[in-house]
Amino acid sequence: MLLIVVYVVIGGLLACLAAHLLPVGGAPAAMGTATGIATGTVQIMLGAAMTGLFTAASVDTFTDSILLVALSGAVGATIMICVVMFMANIIYGFGAGVVPISGRVDVDPITKEPQAPYKTPQTDGHGVPIVVFVSGSLGGFIGGFGGALMYYTLLNYAHFSAGTAAIGAISIFVANAILAAYNIRGTIEGFHDPKFKRLPYALVASFAVSLLCGIVVSLTAVLGGTL
Amino acid sequence: MPIEVVLLFAWMLVIAFLAFIACTFEDLESDMGSQSNPNSQVQLAAQVGQVNRFFNKAISGEPLSNALYCVTAGAIAWILLQQLEPLVPGAEWKAAVLAIPIGVLGAVVMNVIFSTTAHCGRTAAMKRFEQPIYLDVLYGHLMPIGAHAFMTTFCITCIAYIQSNLGTLAGNPALNHPFALPLLGFVWGITVGSIGSSTGDVHYGTEREFQDRPFGEGKRVVYHGKITRYASCGIRTQRDIAGFCAKFGGPCTGMTFGLIILFTNWTTLVGMQLGGFLPNLPAFTAIGDMAAIWTIVLGLLIVAALAVGNVIFVKWVRKKCGPFVGV
Amino acid sequence: MTVTPAVVEEEAPAKKGLSFKFPPEETEMGIVAGIIGAVIVIFTGLPAVIKGVGLILVLLWGMDSVRKTSKYGLGTGVPSIGVLGTGYGVVGAMMGLAVAEYGRVGQIYPAVLLGVIVMGVIGLVSGAISNSEKFIAMKIPRLERGMMELGMAGTLAILLECSIVTGSLNFNAVVNQVMNTGLIALMFIFNCFAMLHPYNACLGPDERRERTRMCGVEISGLVCVLLGFAQLALGTSPYGPLDAVSMIVFGAIIFAVFFWKFIKTCMDEAYETVGTGMIKTIE
Repeated sequence: MLLIVVYVVIGGLLACLAAHLLPVGGAPAAMGTATGIATGTVQIMLGAAMTGLFTAASVDTFTDSILLVALSGAVGATIMICVVMFMANIIYGFGAGVVPISGRVDVDPITKEPQAPYKTPQTDGHGVPIVVFVSGSLGGFIGGFGGALMYYTLLNYAHFSAGTAAIGAISIFVANAILAAYNIRGTIEGFHDPKFKRLPYALVASFAVSLLCGIVVSLTAVLGGTL
Repeated sequence: MPIEVVLLFAWMLVIAFLAFIACTFEDLESDMGSQSNPNSQVQLAAQVGQVNRFFNKAISGEPLSNALYCVTAGAIAWILLQQLEPLVPGAEWKAAVLAIPIGVLGAVVMNVIFSTTAHCGRTAAMKRFEQPIYLDVLYGHLMPIGAHAFMTTFCITCIAYIQSNLGTLAGNPALNHPFALPLLGFVWGITVGSIGSSTGDVHYGTEREFQDRPFGEGKRVVYHGKITRYASCGIRTQRDIAGFCAKFGGPCTGMTFGLIILFTNWTTLVGMQLGGFLPNLPAFTAIGDMAAIWTIVLGLLIVAALAVGNVIFVKWVRKKCGPFVGV
Repeated sequence: MTVTPAVVEEEAPAKKGLSFKFPPEETEMGIVAGIIGAVIVIFTGLPAVIKGVGLILVLLWGMDSVRKTSKYGLGTGVPSIGVLGTGYGVVGAMMGLAVAEYGRVGQIYPAVLLGVIVMGVIGLVSGAISNSEKFIAMKIPRLERGMMELGMAGTLAILLECSIVTGSLNFNAVVNQVMNTGLIALMFIFNCFAMLHPYNACLGPDERRERTRMCGVEISGLVCVLLGFAQLALGTSPYGPLDAVSMIVFGAIIFAVFFWKFIKTCMDEAYETVGTGMIKTIE
């Protein structure tokens, strides 16, 4: 029973961390006014987590190693985020004629290329430059790992059925992602963004909520007779 | 290869094809109704004095609304399949041919209801900005929105049906996906919505919504709210917009989802084949672990290829476009 | 405002003598919905229509809570808090169902309320952490109360829906008939929408609570119709198919009446409703 609580807490913390790593541009990014993926935090986190959960559920039917199931979920989510970011760049480049540029730093931390001369004035950057791509892939990997970990725990340690475990994992994941979204307050570019330093506050909140939810879930398993 | 493995791969290609079509139409449906992120501009337009004839479909974000339609279709289809399948043992496809379209029709009815309440509600709440409810805008867009939503939801429900019966269709029910049909509809509905929202909306928001601004720049903050309201001939509505976005944004979005479905399913199946898991399916043994390891390795190779592709593309665009010129 | 008497007259002859009053205050709405919902969820032997009424009240309570909290600008949009409420609701409902067996008296399950209370506590804690200066510091007034109410409303809504579809609150029955069949996904997404769509659809400076509430009731009517179909398919009610059919008819009437009222009110209260026309630019 302690194992369930521990894994749920770890999964929740990873979900919160992933929400901070994913580059979320929000509504302004859809107009080319901000860098990142042009949607909200909750929407893209849920999308990545669902793909990861689906892959993990398929892999879980033929292996029972927790590491492999969680890694397969992580890889599924990473594939989704990477394809999305790549195609978004293509639409920005050919459909709107803008260069992928970050608005929060003057020089790309990974490739050391200047950003400011290429940026449209009076915007906050546009597109998905290289450092943002890397940050997004990491975010997808960690988020998928956390979601698949929670699914595996609920399925094999609490012995819920597949449907119950899936919806339970989704609910706890959603709660953590939304608390992280409140912390971010709209847009974030990734680990190079100054807003990333607010991460510890959200981790504390996520820890508290995941701990309580983990206790609730293990009580459910014990009292419901499935454990 | 034994017949079962060939069928598995064949059904997987069918799923990838359906996914391509589903996301193309999802993006067009959200452009037809101006949903999610670019809709903030349509809302803002009235508030800065630009009365417009746009359809203001403000149904939360695309992931949640597509999840709604796909779950409704999946649940109704599931209910009908439960009732009809015992009547045609051995030929369950007859039950599916009847159940899936009826379920999707129910989902389209939901879509039209929510669109109407959203448009009327939002326009009524903007009374002080003198934005009227144009009845021809309201009535004239419901059918295109419903038609596009029908295509999206139909493809997603078919994908969910095939995946929940993949093993049965290929010969061995052990490969059926453990999730039930409505839950698979929920998962794919959220995914298709979040992809359509992140890729397709960029073409609508950055390009078509502000088409009278110069090409080749991000839309500045001072432009926000001043959307292009006059079309090539007359006043622009969503029907003009969706036709434009169907030439670039729609197919790109479709390709995104198709590639994602293709990659995730392909890595799983090829991993199973390379690990020696097919066709006997010895689950929970070292062979099963090997299959999972192959899945992960192939997935990481694809991620690496995409990262390299992105680096090449970004460098190429920077070189070709050069620093920003202009005011 | 002539909404209330008109509603009572149209409802009374069609249904079993329910009195449909809309309490005007948000706090009163919360108390009434909470108490009625809690009472109805304990008695699982009631006919589905009465549980449907409880469901409508509880979803309105959730919608009010979303509206109160989102008025101050969350930064991420209205949908996130609706999804949060439903997420809490599912976790709380699972716990309530697991505990329910232990306090069971025939068909009465009072121990289910423990899940509701626990989720209220979790909502309070997350609200406190979100609002406090040392942590996330959202600085939204009464966010703690809002999130607590969301946790409780979400849990009650899922429990009522499970009770409608399965006819009881037995943990194994619910797992087999609701979670394994995927119907829980339907309940999840419709609860999300019933709580977030009314305020999201009526967002604007001239938003009025009575009009927003009509939209909420109309979505709850749709939920009742779909759950009636599910109940008909699963065939679990002790009253036989009459229960499910009456639920479908009830939901359809509620939906039709309130949809018509909502659209008419919107068209009356908009700046103007014209067949077609040119546009103007207001400097």
